[in-house]
Amino acid sequence: MEKDIVDYTLEYARGKDVEYAEVRAQSQKLEQLMLKNGILEAFLSSVNTGFCVRILANGGIGFASTNKWTKDEAKGVVDLAYRFAKAAKRKDKIKFAEEKAVETTWKVEQKKKIEDVDSETKIKQFLEVDKALTSQTVNVPARVIQAIMQLTEKYFVNTEGSRISSFVPKIAAFGFITVVEQGKSEQAFKQFGYSGGWEAFDEWQMTENLIHDVNVLKEVITKAKAVKPGTMDLVCGPEVTGIAAHESCGHPMEADRILGREMSQAGRSFIYEGSSFWIGTRIGTDVVTIVDDPAIEHSYGYYKYDDEGIKARRRYLYKNGFINEFLHNRETAAKLGIRSNASSRSANYDREAIVRMANTFVLPGNMTKEEIIEDVKNGVYMVSFTEWNIDDKRFNQRYVGREAYLIENGELKHPVARPIIETTTLKFWSAVDAVSKTVEFDAATCGKGDPMQGMPVYTGGPAIRLRGVYVK
Amino acid sequence: MSEILNKTEEIVKKAKTLGADEVIAKTTFGKYRQTRFSNNQIDITVAWNDYLTDIALSWKKRVVATQIRDFQNVDGQLKQLFEIAKVSKENPMFGGFAKGKFKYAQSSADKKVVELEDPSEYILEAIEAAKKEAGQDINSGGILFTKFEDVYLASSEGPIGVDSRSAIEISIRAFSQREASGHSVECSSTLNGFNPSRAGLEAGEIAKLARNPKAGDEGVYSVILNPLFAGSMLGMWTSMVSAFNVMIQLSIFVDKLGQKVSREFVTMKDNPASYSVSNRVFDDEGVPTRENVFIDRGILKTYLHNTSTAKIFKAETTGNAGLVVPNPWNVEMGLGNMGKDEMFRETRNGLYLTNTWYTRFQNYKNGDFSTIPRDGLFLIENGEIKRSLKDVRLSDNALNMLGNIAGISKERKHVHWWGEADPPSLAPYILIENVHITKSK
Repeated sequence: MEKDIVDYTLEYARGKDVEYAEVRAQSQKLEQLMLKNGILEAFLSSVNTGFCVRILANGGIGFASTNKWTKDEAKGVVDLAYRFAKAAKRKDKIKFAEEKAVETTWKVEQKKKIEDVDSETKIKQFLEVDKALTSQTVNVPARVIQAIMQLTEKYFVNTEGSRISSFVPKIAAFGFITVVEQGKSEQAFKQFGYSGGWEAFDEWQMTENLIHDVNVLKEVITKAKAVKPGTMDLVCGPEVTGIAAHESCGHPMEADRILGREMSQAGRSFIYEGSSFWIGTRIGTDVVTIVDDPAIEHSYGYYKYDDEGIKARRRYLYKNGFINEFLHNRETAAKLGIRSNASSRSANYDREAIVRMANTFVLPGNMTKEEIIEDVKNGVYMVSFTEWNIDDKRFNQRYVGREAYLIENGELKHPVARPIIETTTLKFWSAVDAVSKTVEFDAATCGKGDPMQGMPVYTGGPAIRLRGVYVK
Repeated sequence: MSEILNKTEEIVKKAKTLGADEVIAKTTFGKYRQTRFSNNQIDITVAWNDYLTDIALSWKKRVVATQIRDFQNVDGQLKQLFEIAKVSKENPMFGGFAKGKFKYAQSSADKKVVELEDPSEYILEAIEAAKKEAGQDINSGGILFTKFEDVYLASSEGPIGVDSRSAIEISIRAFSQREASGHSVECSSTLNGFNPSRAGLEAGEIAKLARNPKAGDEGVYSVILNPLFAGSMLGMWTSMVSAFNVMIQLSIFVDKLGQKVSREFVTMKDNPASYSVSNRVFDDEGVPTRENVFIDRGILKTYLHNTSTAKIFKAETTGNAGLVVPNPWNVEMGLGNMGKDEMFRETRNGLYLTNTWYTRFQNYKNGDFSTIPRDGLFLIENGEIKRSLKDVRLSDNALNMLGNIAGISKERKHVHWWGEADPPSLAPYILIENVHITKSK
């Protein structure tokens, strides 16, 4: 990365009639491999580097990026961004919330550096995962394993005096498996993610996790029975709790949605000024507290400073059942007259940073999972999910169980085939009466923005119990 | 232009000198512009310039790939790529890259799309059209996107070519009330014929009609999909025709070649023609792109292939190679024989759905999925739109829906929207019977 070009770009932008300018540079070493049924389909290795400039002028924003590291190109992108900002001709001038300048350097430590593990070892370890899947007494005719290793260096400067350098190694893997038994098929997708070094591979226990899923899918085909539709209790495992927290708390609490800036793509929110839902409105029971926290070390969504140079901290989104704090960048925070809470993230140097989640999860309670199940007379324990979706105001959602069991008189019985909860955000969180004390996380890639920006996040939480919900 | 092609060819020669068996290099000089707007105002205009060479090479059936920016450190990156190839594993399924010299159609790209002095004029035109249709209070948001790419491809196996690809798209979603909206797009490969007002007008029309929606009911309905919704379904079906997705069982079309998958009036093809926003004259192996009819009068005729997957399926490449796996470029559904109005007239108990999002599968192989209709959705009774609805979900099966197509309109529209109606398509109104609708309880 050529920091002198970045500094030059900022100085050139400062010479324009700007209210604010920033330059964000990124250099990313990327390795990616894909195994298809135990065969290495391809191995991609590249270095992705470039920089962008974002300018606020006359109340409008312009943004331009390039991967050509020359001063002429730098001037070209500044001129372009400046022209775009001036051309916006907005009636409501955009402002950024006041923030202090920061000069710092931060990085994520690796116990075992990704760059010290040779490509042969990386390939071998993932091939061993695939081999283990075929060693089960289960027919797994289609297996895809992908892995992505990124070493990302960033350099951020702005006209307010911020100057932040960072280095974040990340490793992610994905498994997609199809099990066929008795002429029927079931499928599962599993994602793993970590900020740090190659030690992630051991911590994930990828082989054990995927073998578990392979056997679960076989059981779903051979032993599972359909649930009798009706009102019953539903115990959600951490994976299901986590996706619900992400979809029906994290997303609707993004201030850019609430203010309409994502109205045509990702959509708006059921929460908006003048509606029945705003800060202070009850959305769940007292035991429901959902946070978004970028500061969990080595989490997949970890960062210390966001892409506007604001220090990260935990945000309490739903607190004791009440809508509490939105996710903000500097633009949305200014509109509501508050400070940013460091939720501005970008997937690459050539993408605008927008409001994003980091690690969204339900805070733990004080029960064990066993105690939660013991007190259910008739219900379903949904351990994991397959199909899921939610409407673009983030109110009507559906989760279909992958691994699930019938609960009768406090005891787990036979597997249940794809049970479905299809309900509203208010009904879901208002039905929670118990929360277990152990939080577990899952890696996920959150989608938002146009062009789409896939963002690494954790979803998670403890087991939770919903009383009297309709399951089919 | 020839200088860039020379540099691209030089990469191929260097890789061969290092010992590669087969090499492809594709250099793209891309200029992309996007203006985003919401609440009737422009939020940001974004430009990104990309100078990128994609390289894929094989060595003893080991396939490795890299990307080089702006021709920086070519020697170093090629050597590093070779080191990886040497420790990589053989891919016995690799069938080589396409061989031969080809002639390509002339590109009809329009450079004017990225030279627009003030693209915001198009946005204001669309917003005004929506206001004119649905009133001054209407609240619109969306994007205007332009693309111009110069593409230079060289292969050690013979293909060599130059292409230019341009596109301009506007997507506008207009709200007449908090829960009443309409969405429309306008897509073109050239400025000529690009009409943003048309998109604004349609978004406004739907938004006006969608006012005062009531919660819909669960049930089994005949549904009429407008072209934007149809584009999402065409994208879903067509991605499953990629031979790669068939091989990994991410497809309802596994083992269905030659079988009836829809009714005899249903024909679909992939065709990256000059009008399309994904126009191209060759694929990533340098094979000339072409029309590929994959569903012919209801029968599944072919998967979409690159050279390797074609060999596995004992077929020929269809010109759909991406860097690693085959992809569809632009889907066309064959014209039907129903007028749009006739389609509505013949529907007794149905729904008219204008857009959707968040399509997710329980099982790609058997096709169980759901998707969430958004923007205007309407109850049709006895041939007429009766009321605006909200809060329902389409929960059905991708193969069953394909088989239950009961009518296709004579009108078609070129649509592309975000990741939802993707790849682009030439989509008609589609009538589908026995579609299951569910809702929250």
